[in-house]
Amino acid sequence: MDAHPVVVASGLTKRYGDVEAVKGIDFSVPSSSCVGLLGPNGAGKSTTMRMIMGLSTLTGGTMNVFGEPIQKLSRENKARIGLVPQETNLDPDISVVENLELYGRYYALPIDIIRERVPRLLDFMQLSEKSDAPVNTLSGGMKRRLVIARALINDPDLVILDEPTTGLDPQARVLIWKQLLDLKKQGRALLLTTHYMDEAQQLCDNIIVVDGGSVLDEGTPRELIDRHVKSHVIEVKKPHVAKSTDGKWEQEDIGEAILYFVHNPEDLIADLPVDATYLQRHANLEDVFLRITGRTLRDN
Amino acid sequence: MNTLPLGISHILAVFYRQYIVWRKLIWPAMVTNVGNPVLFLFAFGFGLGRFIDTMSGVDYMSFIVPGMIAYAAMFAASFETTIGSFTRYFLLKNWDAVLATPVSLRELLMGEVLWASCKAMISAISVLVVGWLWGGIPSPAGALISLPFIFLSAICFSCVGLTATAYASGYEFFSYFFTFWVTPMFVFCGVFFEISRFPEAIQIIAWILPMTHIIAVIRPLCLGLPIDPIMIFLHTTYMFVLCVIAFSLAHKKMRQKLFD
Ligand SMILES: Nc1ncnc2c1ncn2[C@@H]1O[C@H](COP(=O)(O)OP(=O)(O)O)[C@@H](O)[C@H]1O
Ligand SMILES: [Mg+2]
Repeated sequence: MDAHPVVVASGLTKRYGDVEAVKGIDFSVPSSSCVGLLGPNGAGKSTTMRMIMGLSTLTGGTMNVFGEPIQKLSRENKARIGLVPQETNLDPDISVVENLELYGRYYALPIDIIRERVPRLLDFMQLSEKSDAPVNTLSGGMKRRLVIARALINDPDLVILDEPTTGLDPQARVLIWKQLLDLKKQGRALLLTTHYMDEAQQLCDNIIVVDGGSVLDEGTPRELIDRHVKSHVIEVKKPHVAKSTDGKWEQEDIGEAILYFVHNPEDLIADLPVDATYLQRHANLEDVFLRITGRTLRDN
Repeated sequence: MNTLPLGISHILAVFYRQYIVWRKLIWPAMVTNVGNPVLFLFAFGFGLGRFIDTMSGVDYMSFIVPGMIAYAAMFAASFETTIGSFTRYFLLKNWDAVLATPVSLRELLMGEVLWASCKAMISAISVLVVGWLWGGIPSPAGALISLPFIFLSAICFSCVGLTATAYASGYEFFSYFFTFWVTPMFVFCGVFFEISRFPEAIQIIAWILPMTHIIAVIRPLCLGLPIDPIMIFLHTTYMFVLCVIAFSLAHKKMRQKLFD
């Protein structure tokens, strides 16, 4: 295992014409851990991942992968990275097994090793019954699982997962979570993007929140929650508000209600008018995410 | 990733991918790449052949068979590295999948060219066999000798097609490619008659197109006529140089498009 982190990026920048998609970010991915890259659409997550894969040239900054500068990454080290791209790009006309075997060939793996690994990977992603089915007959969830299995064909030390569970049903997501945790236990480094905050909270040891190409904050899920939203959220329906209005409470106006972020819910509840309607819950990453990246839509 | 030595196994892996997909869709592929030129051969050989007995002193069927062999190779190679490659790159995102592995862009493109050229050979050989059965190949030995030259031309056509793919922004672009590249090679390069019958300006254009050069090599070979080795050298050199230029252009442009 490397003593160094698997990926170290500093001042990483990517410009497409006039658009600066990644604006000088620093991060690292240690081995045996899962790093989450969270951010709204267009934040630069996929671009960052493509740069690690050598699929996108750096406009500025440096990046080392397995201790080598990305521009000079050897074939051996490139082969130690597995990618689950955001867009599923399987071969639709051939079978599940053929897709995996072919992928093994791109790594120049000997055919007997491929033949030995493919059934194991299919089993790992619970696709064994579909072995001979053409890919275009699979459901979205199965295709996604197959893409994950494919990324593992060369037994990678770094697995990059770009929204691996987007659009999947809860059962498929739970299976994928379980298997990703397993991969981490095996000592692999994972870099994950997701729009599901429960997923990030379950899987990630460290989270980097990005928006508009910059890092907004990073830390463990717990640290981020403590730092930005305390431990509890109390949502108070307007027009009622806490009586102390002198900045005593950390709060956010979300239109029809006000969110209060507190460590001790009792204190705030005591500060509410008696007829106030409120909802109390534990703070989670979703609250952090919305607090630091804002609530405006990004796609338009 | 651009300084890596070429890996034969990586190039062959790309080739193999096209092969197994082709195997699944073999009949439509055969219709396009074999049926189409063979139909042309019949239409022109028998249709036109009824009115034209000889061309430059040779039996018209024998004259047209080498032209149709070259056309079959040219069309199959051009089609494969344009519509075929573009579909893999643009629609299937297959190139993204491949480039996420240790296969380099250069190896990927070489695999594409190698596949397209082999597919072109299947077409060319099919036409050759049909033409031979029909008595349109006076020199079978010469026809065999012409195969490596046909393969070189197929690589050349594939590379030019790949350049078009690299510069294409959508499928519409290929209507220019087929109208201004493929069709002129069909009509101006001596498939049906000697290019000397054209006005001089068109003859110049014809000699720029690689099709003229491959026909100039394989027609005498298939007919069993003498051919100056120096001319063979010049024709093959021209095709080879065109290959290298087209491949470099395709690689450079594709790198910009994919990675920048
Ligand atoms: N190939 C490209 N050409 C031009 N702009 C691009 C390209 N890829 C991404 N972008 C732009 O870069 C920004 C970041 O995109 P991306 O990395 O895909 O974000 P995310 O994955 O976080 O949603 C977006 O504004 C996007 O439009
Ligand atoms: Mg993305």
